[in-house]
Amino acid sequence: EGVFVNQGKNSLTDGVINRSKRMMLDTLGVGLLGTRTAVFNKALKYSQLFTSRERSSVWGQSDIILPPHYAAFVNGIAVHSMDFDDTWHPATHPSGAVLPALLALAETLPSQPSGLDLLLAFNVGIEVQGRLMRFSKEAYNIPERFHPPSVVGVMGSAAASAKLLGLSPEQCIHALAIAASSAGAPLANAATQTKPLHIGNAARGGLEAARLAQIGLKGNPAILDLDRGLGVYYKDYSPSAMADSAVRAYKWILEDQDVAFKRIPAHLGMHWVVDAALAAREKLQNAVGKFDLSQIRHVTLRVPPSKYVNCPLPATEHQARHSFQFNACTALLDNKVTVASFGDAQIGRSALKELLGKVSLETPEDNLPSFDKMYCEVEIATHQGPSYTARCDTFYGHWRKPLTLKHLVDKFRVNASSVLCTVGVEGVIDVIGNIERVADCSILGSYLRMTSNQEHLDRMRIL
Amino acid sequence: RAIHKSAVEAPEDTVTASFGKFISEIKPQHLSPVVLHRSKRMVLDSIGVGLIGSTTDVFELALQHCQNMYAPGDSSSVYGHRGIRLSPILAAFVNGVATHSMDFDDTWHPATHPSGAVLPAVLALSDMMPANNKPSGLDFLLAFNVGIEIQGRLLRFSNEAHNIPKRFHPPSVVGTMGSAAACARLLSLDPIQSSHALAIAASLAGAPMANAATQSKPLHIGNASRLGLEAALLASRGLEASPLVLDAVAGVAGFSAFYEDYVPQPLQSPGNDSHMFLLEEQDIGFKRFPAHLGMHWVADAAASVHKILVGVGPGTVSPAQVEDILLRVPKSKYINRPFPESEHEARHSFQFNACTVLLDGEVTVQSFTPAAMNRPDLHALLSRVRLEHPNDNPANFNRMYGEVQLTLVGGDTVKGRCNTFYGHWRNPLSNDSLRKKFRSNAEVVLPSEKVERLIEVVEDLDQLRDCRNLLSQLQ
Repeated sequence: EGVFVNQGKNSLTDGVINRSKRMMLDTLGVGLLGTRTAVFNKALKYSQLFTSRERSSVWGQSDIILPPHYAAFVNGIAVHSMDFDDTWHPATHPSGAVLPALLALAETLPSQPSGLDLLLAFNVGIEVQGRLMRFSKEAYNIPERFHPPSVVGVMGSAAASAKLLGLSPEQCIHALAIAASSAGAPLANAATQTKPLHIGNAARGGLEAARLAQIGLKGNPAILDLDRGLGVYYKDYSPSAMADSAVRAYKWILEDQDVAFKRIPAHLGMHWVVDAALAAREKLQNAVGKFDLSQIRHVTLRVPPSKYVNCPLPATEHQARHSFQFNACTALLDNKVTVASFGDAQIGRSALKELLGKVSLETPEDNLPSFDKMYCEVEIATHQGPSYTARCDTFYGHWRKPLTLKHLVDKFRVNASSVLCTVGVEGVIDVIGNIERVADCSILGSYLRMTSNQEHLDRMRIL
Repeated sequence: RAIHKSAVEAPEDTVTASFGKFISEIKPQHLSPVVLHRSKRMVLDSIGVGLIGSTTDVFELALQHCQNMYAPGDSSSVYGHRGIRLSPILAAFVNGVATHSMDFDDTWHPATHPSGAVLPAVLALSDMMPANNKPSGLDFLLAFNVGIEIQGRLLRFSNEAHNIPKRFHPPSVVGTMGSAAACARLLSLDPIQSSHALAIAASLAGAPMANAATQSKPLHIGNASRLGLEAALLASRGLEASPLVLDAVAGVAGFSAFYEDYVPQPLQSPGNDSHMFLLEEQDIGFKRFPAHLGMHWVADAAASVHKILVGVGPGTVSPAQVEDILLRVPKSKYINRPFPESEHEARHSFQFNACTVLLDGEVTVQSFTPAAMNRPDLHALLSRVRLEHPNDNPANFNRMYGEVQLTLVGGDTVKGRCNTFYGHWRNPLSNDSLRKKFRSNAEVVLPSEKVERLIEVVEDLDQLRDCRNLLSQLQ
C-alpha cells in the first residue's frame, strides 16, 4: 500500500481525471453551503481556540484562518453538515474526508503544489478508501456498526496527505498505521448534529497521521494485514495486496465505479423514495386532475431494512435527513424536496405531521440494504378507492444514472453563490475545470475566500 | 437570539441519560475515605510515570509535532518541561503520551489504563480555567474519580472486556469516555450536555490492538485524554449527538460497536448520602517496572528462580548452565515475542522479561535501553525459551499466573510460580513502595525539593483550596 501511494502522475487516466474533478467541484459547493450551518459554526468557534504559525483557509470566510488540522476539521464538517456530499459503492462519502485535508495541507507547503499534484493526491485518497472497503463483505451493505467515513475516510486522508507531502513508501505505511488508531465512530451518531464531525475528524486525523509519520512516528507496518489491525472494524476481513503500481496502466477503481452526487441534502436512500413519491404523486394528479392532500388515506413505503433511516416523526433537521417517511411526505406535500425543506419551520408543519401519521413502512425481502441493489416503492391509497404506486430503481444522480455536467455545475453554482461572490463562484468552476493544467493551486484558496458583498454586509450587521 | 431547546433530550430511563445525570449531579461528599485514598495514590503514580515518560523519544516526537503545528498557547503545563506551555488540548495529548510511553502506568480490572486518559485532561482543563476560578483540590479529585468511575462502569457492560483485549485497545475505547466524563464534571455541564459529551467522545474512540507494542501505542492514551477533553468542550458549546449512544439499539450501533457482547446498565443517581464508586470495590494495579502488566507475573516467577540459583552458585545465572526455559503463561499473541526488536516490543514480551530477570534479578527502567537489549547473554537465554499455554491459565488479569521452569544442564529443574505479583490489586504496593517509585521517576526531571512538595500536595489534595499549588509543581 505504501508503494502505491508513492506512484506518479502519468497513471491518471482521462476517465479518472474527469470523474474526480466532478467530485472536487461538488464537494467544494456543498462545503461552501455547509459553512452556514449551526454545526459548522460551533466547530468554528471551538477551533478558533487554536492559533498557529501555519495558516490555512476556512472555506467561505474571507478573513478567518486556522491551523491546518482545524481548517481540515471545520471544512470537512461543512462538507458533510447537510448530508449533501458524494456517496460511493461500497458505501462511504469519499471526497469530504480527503479534499479539506489536502487543501489545508497545500497552503502550508513551502512550494505550492500544481493542480495535477493535487489531483493525483486526491485520487490516491479516494482509491485507498475504495480498496479498503473491498476487504470485507460487510462494507457492501448499508452500515450498522461503524460509520464508514470514520473507518476508511481517515485512511484515505492519511494516504492523500502522505502523497502530497512526498513521503517515502515506508513513511506512507506508518501514516496508514497511525491513522488506523483514529478510525471508527459508531453509527449511533448518524442522524445527529455530530455526524458531520465524522468527516471533519477523518480529514484532520489523516492529515495528522501523515505529519506524524513525516517526523518519524511509527506504528504497526502490518496494520492492513491484521485482524487486530484495520480488521477490528469488520466482522469479515480479507485484505489483498494492491497491484504493482509501477506498471504503467494502473486500474483505478473510480474508472469502473463512479460516485453518486446528491440532488437533495439527505441520506442517499432518501433519493429513491423521493423519486418514487414524486412519480406516484404525478400518477394521482394525472388520474384525478388535481392533487389534494385530503384524498390520501394511507401511504405505504417499501424500502430496504435500515434502522437509522427509519424515523416516523423526526424532530430535528438531522433526523429529517435520515427519514424515509419525512422525505416521502415532503415530496408529496411540496412536489419537491430541496435545501429549504429541512428548516425547523418546514419540519414542524402540521400538514406534514398529519401526512406522516398516515405512513407505514414495509421492508420486502427482495429489497436489499445496499446502495447498488435497493429500490423504493411508494403506494398512495386514496379515500376514493384507487391506489397509485410508483417505484424507483435508480434515481437521477446515482452512478447508474449520473448527473449531467450542466446539472452538476448548476448545483455547485446554487450552493456556492449563497456564500461567494460571482467572481469566486466562476473562479472555482474554472480552476477545477482545468485543474490538471493549473501551475499553482493556491489560486483555488483565494477564490474560496471571496465572499459576496451581501455576505459581508450581513456579517457586519450582526456585529 | 432564541435559545434553541435541545430536541434530542434522552428520555429519563435510558442508560445514556443515567450517565449524564450521574456526571452532573455527583458531589465531593460522595467520595468515601477509601476512594479518596486510592485515587490519590493513582494521581501520584500517574504524575511520576508521566514525568519520567517526558524523557522518551516518542514524547519528544509528539511534542515536536505539537510545536510545529501550533504556536505556543500560554495556558497548560507540559510534564517536566519548564518554559514550555501548550494549549490545553495539546498539553493533554503530550502528557497522556508521556504517561503511557513506557507502559509504566496503572492497570485496572477489567483491563485498561485508567489514569493516563483522565489526569492529563483534568490538569490541562484546570490550567485553562481563569485564575479567580480555579478548581479546589477536592473538585479536581472528584472530576478525576468521575473519569475513572465511568470507565469502570463501561467496562462492565461486556464479557469481552474482562479478558486481555484482542480487538480494540481498551484505553482508546473507555479512556476517551472517561476523559470526557471527567472534563464534563469539571466544567459543571448539565446532565444533557454531559450525556452529549459522552456521545461526541464515542465518535472519537477506538484504536486497534495492532498498534500496541509499537511506538504509536502511547498515542492511544494521549488521544483518549485530548479527545475526551475536546468532546466536553464541544458539548459545552452546544454540540449535540446521540442521546442513545450507551444504550443497546438493534440495527444501529452506538458505544456497543466496540464490543461483540454488550449489555449496558444504568448508573444510579447519586443519592443524598453516598455512591459506591467501583474503586472502593476494585483497586488498581501499579507497575514496578515499565512493561505490560502480564510481564510482572513472569518477572516475579523468574525472580524466585534467580534467587535460588544465585544463592547456590556464583551470583549470576550464566546461559551456559541453562538448557531450557519453559514459561507457562496465558495465550495472548501481542505479548508473545521470542526476539523483540524495539523497546516497545520488549515491553510486550514474556520471553524478554523472564530472561532479563534470570540475568539481573529484576526488570528496571534500564532493562529496555539498547545496550541492555543487545546483550549476548540475554540473546543466548532467549533462544532457549519455549512457551506453554495451560488451559487453567486464562488471559485475564484477575485470574492468570506465571510459571518459569528452568532446566539446567545436567538435568536439574528449578521452578518458580507467581499467582499475584507485588503491585497487583490483590497485593498492593505499600505507600512507601509507591513513593519510592514516584521519587525514582520524578527525580529524573525535577529537583528533589519539587519532588517532595508534589508528594505532599497530592497527599493533601482533598484539603487544597486551589489546585494551582499542584499545577505549578509539574514543571
